[in-house]
Amino acid sequence: MFVVDPIQTKKKFVFPRWANYLLPLSVLAVLGGGFYLPVLMGFGLSPKTTDVGYMPEQPVPFSHAMHAGQLGMDCRYCHSTVERASFAALPSAQTCMNCHTSIKPQSTALVPIRESWKNGDPVEWIKVHDLPDHAYFNHSAHVNHGVGCVSCHGRIDQMDTVRQTQPLSMAWCLACHREPEKYLRPPDEITNMSWKPKGDALHLGLELKKNLEIQSPAYMTSCSTCHR
Amino acid sequence: MEYWRSLEQLSGSAKVQEWVDTEFPGYDPEQLVSTSRRSFMKLMGASLALAGLMLTGCRRWPKEEVIPYASSPKDRVPGIPERYATVMELGGIGSGLLVSCFDGRPIKIEGNPDHPFAKTSPGLGAADAFAQASVLEMYDPERSRSPVDRSKGSDAKATWDNFTTALDALFPADGAGVAILSEATSSPSVLEMKKLLLKKLPQVKWYAYEPISCDNESAGAKLAFGKSLRPLLKLEKALVIVSLDADLLGIHPAHIRHAADWASGRRSSDEGRMSRMYVAESCFSITGTMADERLGLRPSRFNAIASALAAKLGVEGVVAGHLSADEAHFVEQAAGDLKANAGKGVIAVGSHLPAELHALAYAMNARIGSLGQTLEMLELPELDRPTHAESIAALTKDMTGGQVKTLLILGGNPVYDAPADLEFGKALGGVAGVHLSVYQNETSRACKWHLPRSHYLEAWGDARAFDGTVTVAQPMIEPLFGGKSVIELLALLADEKVSTGSAIVRRTAGAMLSGPDKDMAFRRALHDGLIAGTTAASSKGTPRSVALPPSVETTSFEIRFQPDASMLDGRFANSGWLQEMPDPLTKLTWDNAALFSKKDADGLGVSTGDMVRITADGRSLDIVAYILPGQPVGVIGLPLGYGRSAAGKVGNNLGFNTYKLRTTKAMFSAAAEIRKTGGTYKLAMTQDHHLMDAVGTAAIRQRVGEKGHSGEILREASFADYRANPQGALQGEHRSIHLPLFDPPARLDETHAWGMAIDMNSCIGCNACIVACQAENNIPVVGKEEVANSREMHWIRVDRYFKGTADDVNPEVIFQPMMCVHCENAPCEEVCPVAATVHDTEGLNTMVYNRCIGTRYCSNNCPYKVRTFNYFDYHSKSPRQKGAAPWLGMPDSQQKQSIDPIKQMLFNPDVTVRMRGVMEKCTYCVQRIHAVTINVRNEHAEGKRDNVHVNDGDIVTACQQTCPTQAIVFGDLNDPTARVTKLHRHPRAYSVLDEELATKPRTRHMAKLRNPVERVRATEAAAPEKEHNQ
Repeated sequence: MFVVDPIQTKKKFVFPRWANYLLPLSVLAVLGGGFYLPVLMGFGLSPKTTDVGYMPEQPVPFSHAMHAGQLGMDCRYCHSTVERASFAALPSAQTCMNCHTSIKPQSTALVPIRESWKNGDPVEWIKVHDLPDHAYFNHSAHVNHGVGCVSCHGRIDQMDTVRQTQPLSMAWCLACHREPEKYLRPPDEITNMSWKPKGDALHLGLELKKNLEIQSPAYMTSCSTCHR
Repeated sequence: MEYWRSLEQLSGSAKVQEWVDTEFPGYDPEQLVSTSRRSFMKLMGASLALAGLMLTGCRRWPKEEVIPYASSPKDRVPGIPERYATVMELGGIGSGLLVSCFDGRPIKIEGNPDHPFAKTSPGLGAADAFAQASVLEMYDPERSRSPVDRSKGSDAKATWDNFTTALDALFPADGAGVAILSEATSSPSVLEMKKLLLKKLPQVKWYAYEPISCDNESAGAKLAFGKSLRPLLKLEKALVIVSLDADLLGIHPAHIRHAADWASGRRSSDEGRMSRMYVAESCFSITGTMADERLGLRPSRFNAIASALAAKLGVEGVVAGHLSADEAHFVEQAAGDLKANAGKGVIAVGSHLPAELHALAYAMNARIGSLGQTLEMLELPELDRPTHAESIAALTKDMTGGQVKTLLILGGNPVYDAPADLEFGKALGGVAGVHLSVYQNETSRACKWHLPRSHYLEAWGDARAFDGTVTVAQPMIEPLFGGKSVIELLALLADEKVSTGSAIVRRTAGAMLSGPDKDMAFRRALHDGLIAGTTAASSKGTPRSVALPPSVETTSFEIRFQPDASMLDGRFANSGWLQEMPDPLTKLTWDNAALFSKKDADGLGVSTGDMVRITADGRSLDIVAYILPGQPVGVIGLPLGYGRSAAGKVGNNLGFNTYKLRTTKAMFSAAAEIRKTGGTYKLAMTQDHHLMDAVGTAAIRQRVGEKGHSGEILREASFADYRANPQGALQGEHRSIHLPLFDPPARLDETHAWGMAIDMNSCIGCNACIVACQAENNIPVVGKEEVANSREMHWIRVDRYFKGTADDVNPEVIFQPMMCVHCENAPCEEVCPVAATVHDTEGLNTMVYNRCIGTRYCSNNCPYKVRTFNYFDYHSKSPRQKGAAPWLGMPDSQQKQSIDPIKQMLFNPDVTVRMRGVMEKCTYCVQRIHAVTINVRNEHAEGKRDNVHVNDGDIVTACQQTCPTQAIVFGDLNDPTARVTKLHRHPRAYSVLDEELATKPRTRHMAKLRNPVERVRATEAAAPEKEHNQ
């Protein structure tokens, strides 16, 4: 493809004068690289890159620490579709007003909710745990098979404002898909944020894996399991 | 060469060879050399460094909102689609549909499995390509968005209130001088509103027009039975089907029912019985390709052949005229078969043929005992009306005569598709036209007022199916652009109190519902997609025979207007999906062409791509010629529906407007003169795409030799041979032995082993699967230029092969649907440098879009050529847009613009929208597999079921679901009772290219069977001899 010029090849080759600068230039490049690489690695591997700690301000200062923590409400009261659908639906304004018609009915923090309830315009919450669109995470497939809320979302029951605590990167997902036994819990402890295995954790995990008929790591690391 | 795709390929044309051998024919790769190696390295280095800087930055995805309901509707789960039954009316016939809505957006259309004319097998309903594509029409950004007032000369955007104010001037109190032109409609609500309107405004005159209609069928019934009836064929009971120019499986209002029933008569070959179809036709239709005995005829010969057939069958008072040898042979065979199978035969006549011929056919059917068996005559009151051609002629006369002051046109596009001799457009200029339409089309532009019509997916309505069954259409979404439906507009004109669509439809339905609780019955009807008990009664009369005038002998060419397989009558012109869907026979995209037989073309010195001038009755049209093997000699096929001037950005000025030659005297055929004009026209057809090249063919010969059937990707046999020896008729002598050097790296059948069977014996090449796949999998439209570059993106294609010689007037056709066959030993995976295509544990050959770097090695190494590549961001660019800045002569249209937000609403959220530079292919609808398997496993975990077994038929791919003949079957090969497992072991099943390349495909094809007459007699004669020898 690349034609070599025959006339050029016949000439005796002499390094041009600017070649003298190559040595200092390459020294500079090495030094520069020494600076460039750590910066690159630093950004690349920083949890910031995967947005750990992302904590956007929501239109309503809803406190999970209050509702799920202190009051002990079950996650599924509001996120009601989590066991049936891929998407753990956010509660409608109606769900909030089930209680808030009598509890703190005048609170200024709840103005957007009351507005939405009255005129039917939805509240626009900010998505915190945001996966890329080609990753088809399914909540129901996980919560029905012993993966607790806390495994991905962290101690929501201690957060006033929800933030992302896990990297949610593919490597992070695969850690569990490869060795689910290390992360499984009994299905009735799914929403329990403070659950700790009693006794031999790995033994319990292996037993759960068998009972819940968790698929093999080969299946769970197949591309089509998460990407469509 | 036994099978071939085009005459050019058959004749070994150098152009086809170049096309097969080179990636970009006519493009010189040496141009690349103008970039020196040094500057190339510089550029690459700079881009790498920049890429490193840019991509590793702290970049966050765009902020996304989650928007819950204010008050959640009962039982609605976000992310899980809901399905609603509805109906799409086309030419006055409703087809029952089931629409999937995702978060309130209709995104996918299927046939309603409970509807008598959509049901194909238990739990499955089929929808045709038009219905599949109608959802794209709903999201077309070019739909009309507001009323337009042209009364002051120029286009002025108006509101519905403006129109209401203008009403009094347009529509006087008693309706004097007002005419209404409607499309053909069977909607009980429209007919009810018509009655109410005519009561309020008694002077209003009502007309109806449809360019393609079945008027002659019912007119024929009036001659034979004394009343207008509609013939309903029961093909599942028919052993002998004789079609006289009736495209039963293609363009016919009941084609899904026909195709499903016909296929059951072909599949019964496994039980030792198979139907036989005789087709005499004046164009090459897909029904003709499925014929066991076919005869190409001039349109003028049908009277002769029908009379001869009637005489042979013993219908009284009919005299057979002179027939040619071929015709006589055809008639003799058909008549013999019909007589031998009394009560199990049926004669169908094309709806365009004259009423007398229909009447004679009814008499023939009565004679062979098929009336009441394979043919029912349905009593539908709305059939009793003037024909559409008469109606529009009368209207035009009234308009030019000054009797009409205001013309309200409900849908349709008469300026474009009315008979040319009426000059409807000119007549419309003299009256105040008001046009209600989804698009601002040719007719809208000639009217004083244009009103946006709500799409059928946005509005309440109803329609009768072919047999009269009423289905209520329910809106899937609020009208996107604030349109009104026909019934709402009529209510506005009549100043009715009941003015909303829902109330009108509910009132009409109320009269038809039975039971004490009408509301409950209505909800039941909405759920089921039909109102029980509304099926038309079948008439019991006896037809009297009608003698036909003899055929007019003509030696000139005859033109034959035919509905286009993609555009029908032109109404779908702005649908990119349908424009790009290759015609079943010509494989043309984005254009129509005059279809010539080889003999006629040779006589005129015309070849495919040459321009010809067709002159008929003083009107002429310049159109491109296309040589179609099998086109009847002396007949020039002219597909309707192209050459639109106001369809929209997608559909404008494509192809040729054949309506220019169509007159009231010649609605379907006419004598014409043809001459070559000398010009040429570039056509984009897919028939020579993905051909096997010389290297591949030679390699196959080297590996398996010429022995037996091995080495052929198509297999077929005659039914007689197959019945005598199922294995021998189809299998070759050669069998390759798989001796793998290594064990496969992973199991490919863990829990499930997905597989598919495609029956070429049932496939009729109707293309519904192509559009269904496109809708399901977010497949873009690439445009004519790119199709010409062999870059169409369809994941499934239907390869059409001819068999016979180039001069054969009757070549045999075989359709082979081809998509990724999911080889267990996949050649594509071996060559991908980044492991972007790998197997999963259930045997799916998966494509990982995010890994793909676009080397296209996989596509080069794929023997089936089923991988498609996103050369450009096709979703965001218009398919008609030319490249902005050409690079090396290749149109580059990398867009700055993003995908139109209205079009985005159509995307299936369960499937990734691929971008530029990514390879893609059939996934076996992996999203549908996971939707079911995840649900099954969830139910198992919750203790609702004992195992994780997926029932056969619970997972259907998009192509399978919409296939009218059930030619595609998908399932789990680990399940021994699954249909697909049984089909894989069927004697007709074979794996394409497996014996040659050891690819071990998961999709097996099944050989085609034909049931011609000669072979049967030959073997029947031979059979006793054989016994004697033993």
